[in-house]
Amino acid sequence: MYPKSFEYLRAKSVDQALQYLKDNEGSRVIAGGQSLLPMLKSRLYQPTVLVDINFIPELREVKLGSNGDLRIGAMVTHYDVIENSTIRENAPILSSTAENIADVQIRNRGTIGGSICEADPSADYLPTLMALDARVVLKTTDSSREMKVEDFIQGPFETLAEDGEMLVEVIVPPSKANYRVEKYARRKADFAIASVAAIVSLSKDGKVADARIATGAQQDKPHRLREIESALKGKASKSVNLEAIIGPATEELEPLDDLHGGPEYRKHVLRGMLSRMLGDLLSGKEA
Amino acid sequence: MVTVNLKINGKQYSEEAEPRLLLVHFIRDALKLKGTHIGCDTGHCGACTILWDGKPVKSCQILAVQAEGANIMTVEGLEPEDGKLSIEQESFRENFAQQCGYCTPGFLMMTRYLIRNNEEMTREEIREKLHGNYCMCTGYQQIVDAVQDAQRKYFATKK
Repeated sequence: MYPKSFEYLRAKSVDQALQYLKDNEGSRVIAGGQSLLPMLKSRLYQPTVLVDINFIPELREVKLGSNGDLRIGAMVTHYDVIENSTIRENAPILSSTAENIADVQIRNRGTIGGSICEADPSADYLPTLMALDARVVLKTTDSSREMKVEDFIQGPFETLAEDGEMLVEVIVPPSKANYRVEKYARRKADFAIASVAAIVSLSKDGKVADARIATGAQQDKPHRLREIESALKGKASKSVNLEAIIGPATEELEPLDDLHGGPEYRKHVLRGMLSRMLGDLLSGKEA
Repeated sequence: MVTVNLKINGKQYSEEAEPRLLLVHFIRDALKLKGTHIGCDTGHCGACTILWDGKPVKSCQILAVQAEGANIMTVEGLEPEDGKLSIEQESFRENFAQQCGYCTPGFLMMTRYLIRNNEEMTREEIREKLHGNYCMCTGYQQIVDAVQDAQRKYFATKK
């Protein structure tokens, strides 16, 4: 299978990449290519120009900002997200999430920036980044803006990135609270039928101090389950009746219907995962 | 056309490539290294696995032009010298870890990487790490046997 012909431009710096994007209408960025190449082969996308950002070292950096936020370059691979000690220390849920992605080979090449920009409803990172309140940094030749991942993702394969704009960095507020992140798929490398990322911290007196829960593979984009979060916050963790919260809070969901699973099945799997994972977190069991 | 300069199995190559040409086709058809196979062409089966800076990647999911300056190893690079088998190849042969052999180059490259970059692996760990490689004939039992055997042989050389 061959993609449609395109012109190839190899950027050596972020500025050069942004200039290429500005000068070429119909251009697209190629990061690790692990999602984009299948889409180019199937001709879902037919860019006239492909701007390669693989040769820009600064996009592969992981830094800790002065306020403690993690700053992860767009071209940091899933392998690096697993192995990097700064990420694992400050946002262990993100490293655990990367372990669930595809297979060894794909993880060596695929990147966090590319995965976010693909905006697949079943993407592994998105629920986790939403639970972490992570933000993306978008740049053009003469502007730079930040927005929450939750706002950036619009729908299946749709983001708020405008023409000439490129995701250069992901900002992750640190979170060392107890967490669970799981995906359910028939085979591990497959896209999820349901996925859940949950961060729950308990106060000393056993109350739920904070709860951030997001799900993917259910609707046209991953999203936070705020009804469950607010039902949990402030409650004594031992006295929560999870079933009474999860049932109604997921009632309105209208999950996707595709060859991997129908809506009822997806919802059933999701409820089971929430009940088990939140049950573990409320009882204070460490991951 | 774009000129691509890269190193494969220690040898420097320089060849023209159309931007949309996949790395696997560049390796097979332009450089005539036919050991790397192409199976599904969708990133699932792993037959096209090569080592890039020592780490396995799927060469059907990469453009040839992106491999500028890359340091690659293909299955041809496993042989320590002409006519001699590497410990990975020897282990696959002794454990009957192939039937048609089509997927074998990919599995061999994974084996080369896995046995050198992990502590002693359990069968479950090996299966998990070989998730990105499909074999449609053997059912994986012998492949897992071969990887375990290769790791034992590799550790023995380190003693």
